[in-house]
Amino acid sequence: MEHVIEVRELAKSFGNKVALKSISFDVKKGETIGFLGPSGSGKTTTIKILTAQLHPTAGEASVFGEPLEKLKDPSYMRRIGILTDNSGLYERLTIFDNLALYCDLYGISKKSSDEVLEVVNLQHDKNTPVQKLSKGMKQRVTLARAIVHKPDLLFLDEPTSALDPVNTKHIHEGLKQLNREGTTIFLTTHDMHEAEEMCDRVAFLHNGEIKLFDTPQKLRTRYGSSSVTVTLKGDQVVTVPKDEQGAEEIYRYMKDGQLAAIHSNEPTLGDIFVQLTGRNL
Amino acid sequence: MMQFSIRRVNAIFRKDWKDLMKNSYIIFTLAFPLIFAAWIGRMGSEDPAFQTFPIHFALVIAGAFVQAAMVAEEKEKNTLRGLMLSPASTAEILVGKSALTAVSTLVVVIGSILLAEYKVPSPPLFILSILLGLVLFVTIGTILGLLSRTVMETTIVGMPVLVIFGMGSMFKAMTDNEMIIKAVDYLPSEQLNMIWMELDREMNISGTIDNILILLAWVVVSFVIAVFVYGKRRFD
Repeated sequence: MEHVIEVRELAKSFGNKVALKSISFDVKKGETIGFLGPSGSGKTTTIKILTAQLHPTAGEASVFGEPLEKLKDPSYMRRIGILTDNSGLYERLTIFDNLALYCDLYGISKKSSDEVLEVVNLQHDKNTPVQKLSKGMKQRVTLARAIVHKPDLLFLDEPTSALDPVNTKHIHEGLKQLNREGTTIFLTTHDMHEAEEMCDRVAFLHNGEIKLFDTPQKLRTRYGSSSVTVTLKGDQVVTVPKDEQGAEEIYRYMKDGQLAAIHSNEPTLGDIFVQLTGRNL
Repeated sequence: MMQFSIRRVNAIFRKDWKDLMKNSYIIFTLAFPLIFAAWIGRMGSEDPAFQTFPIHFALVIAGAFVQAAMVAEEKEKNTLRGLMLSPASTAEILVGKSALTAVSTLVVVIGSILLAEYKVPSPPLFILSILLGLVLFVTIGTILGLLSRTVMETTIVGMPVLVIFGMGSMFKAMTDNEMIIKAVDYLPSEQLNMIWMELDREMNISGTIDNILILLAWVVVSFVIAVFVYGKRRFD
């Protein structure tokens, strides 16, 4: 399958501080990739390098098959969308005027701004000046701006960090729709639920290194417990091994009508991260 | 090859226009040279050196300071980064960001000429000198805006530069040092003064050609610096 992003031994230092230590990964066309890690783990640095905002100290990377030096070209910028923590808006202008500027810069119809405002659930606020919006609403406007031109590749740095659950769900649905239409998504997040819901594969980033990179399901299976928890009627809880003997035990509980529930003891992505790095996200 | 699209330049211009209409700080700053010109006009002097002073003032305040504030605000609010990460090229962004300031400054310069009751001696050459001064001061404003982190900082970074570049001629009266006087002779403000005084006397290009070429050199150098500083800001 075609790779949209290819990264080989990419490193970045700021003076003595190492932000990225020789990371390598690929992103396939149409995938949604999540970079998970605490603040300072190198997530934003990776996005900045891949969007030509930072020069790497060492290593190579290509996006759409083009090396990093070519990414300054405006024709590359037409194919990507970016939402970062420092994406600014014109505060005195309305939401619509902010998006209209970008419609003109991308050479697309202003009708696209109405469509994208529905995705971020702001269709009724389009004539409101940005300075009157809450932090969460502003984040939704910057997200709308990042996707107004339906990019081939979308970089999202903590896209739902300031949002309430209702709007987070709404935006997740919009992003999934965009992904179904062919947009490859590269997102960073602290939110394990977001990673599990949105991402085909996730990378655990810690101290500038990729500790793991796989599908959420494979990671849970690999780091899962070798036992299951069985809850019996009367709220008695027993731990049963995942082997032949355990199967017989569970069969017996079922046969005797004692079984209330079985839990597979699969770890969450957060549990795996703690297990690997010794710290929380 | 660098792309250049009038549509994208126009988009940035229209955005700046809508923003300007809601920005009382910039509107007041643009009005300030007009108030000064009206005051000069009321004094009734017919000395061209005195009457052209509001034009210098308009170029410095409306051309450079307003441009510096507008560019610095884009940096302060992280919106310049958004433009840089859009399909707009360096040329489109720099021209787009300068277009509104250039138009506003021209309006303020024309207003200042009328209010100061200055009789323009040779309109074609005078317009040429104004256009060169306009491009130079807007470009200096762009550089100051790019070097400043905030709108407030443009005042600190910009004041000494703009005093030297905009009103450097005044230094000649304050010193006997030959080197300083010689250096001041090459400053843009002095070149503009020399052109306007020459036009007042002769009304032809022959006596002003050197001054026009020196101004042109200032324009080219400042433009190269602006593109370089912008390029530096493109990456962190």
